[in-house]
Amino acid sequence: MSTFSGLGTALSSLIAQRQALEVSGQNIANANTVGYTRQRAAMASLPAATVPSMFSTSNGVGIGTAVTGIDRLGDVFLDARLRNETSGASRLAAIATEYDTLEATIGEPSKTGFSADLTSFWTTWSDVANSPGSASNRAVLLERGKAVADRLSTLYQDVSTQWDQALTTTKALVTQVNTTAANVADLNTRILSITNAGGSANELMDQRDQLITSLSSLVGATTRTNEDGSVDVMVAGNALVSGGSANALAVGAGSAASFGDAVSGGAGVSIVWARNGNAAGLDGGRVAGLLTALGPADDGGVLAAAGASLNAMATTIADSVNAIHRTAATADGTTGQDFFTIDASRPAALGLSVAITDPSGIAVAAPGQGSLDGSVGEKIAALAKAADGPDSQWSAFVVDLGVKSASSASRATVAEAARATAASAQLAQTSVDTDEETVNMLAFQRAYEGAARVLTAVDEMLDTLINRTGVVGR
Amino acid sequence: MTTIGRVTQMTVRNTTLGNLQDNLHKMSQLQTQMSSGVKINRASDDPSGTADVLKIQGDQRLLAQYDRNAADGEAWLVTVDSALTTSLANLRKVRDLTVQGGNGALGSTSREALAQEISGLKDALLAQANTEYLGRPVFAGTVAAPAFGAADDAAGAYDFKGVDGATVTRTVASGTTVRVDSDGARVFGTGDDSVFALLDGIVATLQAGGDPSDQLDAIDDRLDAMTTELSSVGARQNQVDSAQSLIAESTVTAKTRLGAIQDVDLAQVILDLQSQEVAYKGALGAAAKVLQPTLLDFLR
Repeated sequence: MSTFSGLGTALSSLIAQRQALEVSGQNIANANTVGYTRQRAAMASLPAATVPSMFSTSNGVGIGTAVTGIDRLGDVFLDARLRNETSGASRLAAIATEYDTLEATIGEPSKTGFSADLTSFWTTWSDVANSPGSASNRAVLLERGKAVADRLSTLYQDVSTQWDQALTTTKALVTQVNTTAANVADLNTRILSITNAGGSANELMDQRDQLITSLSSLVGATTRTNEDGSVDVMVAGNALVSGGSANALAVGAGSAASFGDAVSGGAGVSIVWARNGNAAGLDGGRVAGLLTALGPADDGGVLAAAGASLNAMATTIADSVNAIHRTAATADGTTGQDFFTIDASRPAALGLSVAITDPSGIAVAAPGQGSLDGSVGEKIAALAKAADGPDSQWSAFVVDLGVKSASSASRATVAEAARATAASAQLAQTSVDTDEETVNMLAFQRAYEGAARVLTAVDEMLDTLINRTGVVGR
Repeated sequence: MTTIGRVTQMTVRNTTLGNLQDNLHKMSQLQTQMSSGVKINRASDDPSGTADVLKIQGDQRLLAQYDRNAADGEAWLVTVDSALTTSLANLRKVRDLTVQGGNGALGSTSREALAQEISGLKDALLAQANTEYLGRPVFAGTVAAPAFGAADDAAGAYDFKGVDGATVTRTVASGTTVRVDSDGARVFGTGDDSVFALLDGIVATLQAGGDPSDQLDAIDDRLDAMTTELSSVGARQNQVDSAQSLIAESTVTAKTRLGAIQDVDLAQVILDLQSQEVAYKGALGAAAKVLQPTLLDFLR
């Protein structure tokens, strides 16, 4: 124990308290930084030199303190829980959003929805049947028929556009995933080199954690921490990021390219690993939700199911009206004419159109019952109440969509609540409490003052020893 | 320090923001309901209610159509009724004149006068038989006018143009149709068997100085046919009338049911909005109290 060791002890404290104060300063500076994890200077007391030697002068008192590292007060388990909940919540939210958009497109119940067009169409048949001789009623009926066909076609095109947008979004998100994965791999490399050099890479780790959480929200990524401190990112069991290298995802080659493929071909959209073309098998994240929505009808694909329902709707309308219309005679006795026609080269909902161009081609009379008979027209008008007719089919479609939309919305809400809980638990652990930092600042400041006082005391002691010793009687 | 229970300015801020958002969201939902006036704005708001709304709205439009059908049918039946009533009066007059013509003491001038009057009544009768409603003969509704040919018709005198068995009907309720025309052949007869040919025969008999009394039975048969048809038309008019009152009743019922399903209870929404506003203000006040102070306020 040297005479001056007290000075060294006080100095070590001055240095350590100042460093700790700097860490508090960093915490307060980042109190509002998203993704920042609070830090704390880990201080350790320095033990007395205990080298046993003949002239060792140690008296057992330690020689001060030192900052051994800057701890990052995160919690990997809370992080993992947050990523898990984020993955599920993002998937369900993506599905619920697609349902919500589809519902807005269908636009029922309202006074101007497709059901209103359909009922107007039937009641106009009644008008024509009442006065078969009125050319104006017939012209109105033709327009009502066109309105029904146009509305179906518009609805189908809107759903098709929604499908296209979902595909575009999916492709953009896959690109985003690949960029983010490359960033994570890059951060892994940089963090490794900094920690190898003995530095603190806490801020880079914050960035990396944020990127990984965004990967969870996109493709349901999970993590595995390696011994060297780098983090591997896994997607459905396979490595998206492994240390310093990243694997890219891509949209599969056999994916449906258009809405028509998804509706009639039964093909969905798949995400594969770019290097070998194997299916990625995503089970979480927004992309997985979009893939579900983009999928074929029998695989839960909401948009393809809606497209198939609209096609079935068009076929039912055309078949039921035509079947009766063919038995009817026009004013000049022609029978066997179709009212609607469906262009076979296109989806039924798009291909539906009114076959008759001349109002006098509308047939409402039973053959041989006189040119002004309207009995068959009444039969077509009665389709409005048919048990399995177009109206009940439409109503069943709308209600089914409503039920599924409501249940997907409530599942998404529950998952979002779970995600919010996980997020707030994680935030409670990592966020900066300014009161706490203020108290720390006080403590460090006081300790710094104390150390300075120790320095003064030792200095005065030494002053006594050096300047006032041996001056007796002078 | 444990993980659970650690509270920082950021968690307080996030929770406060979340709660405020939640409160505001509920207020905006209530405001949407109040301003739109309906509870069901999209199918997922209430799927089973949506099914009812779609059905009732469809029913309402159909009821409007049935109402139009019934009004049209009523007009047809009134036209038929008035034509038949007039025809009946004319034919009774003919019967009286025929009885007069059977008086053997009548001079040839009187017979000629009777013949002329009957001939005139026949023309009136034929005009009644060809009565039209909106351009369509009510006694042969499924063909173009007229219902009966004239005496010099190409297809034979007084040829009935209507189709045997063809009817004009109006749907006045789901599955309920009412016949609104009348079978001219049954009422007036057709061709040589028609009431017009009968009257021509009486005129010829009178002009030739004969006794037309033997035709009275034939006239009575026609009178019977007209009376029968008239009562049938009356019965059908009753049917249309009751259908109309049923439609009016159903329209009100449908409107009430639709309102019960999709309209908001305004009093309740206003009350909810008020209490939600109180909750929102409370949340705002609490946020202001919690977020303001820090330890720094109390340190010198």
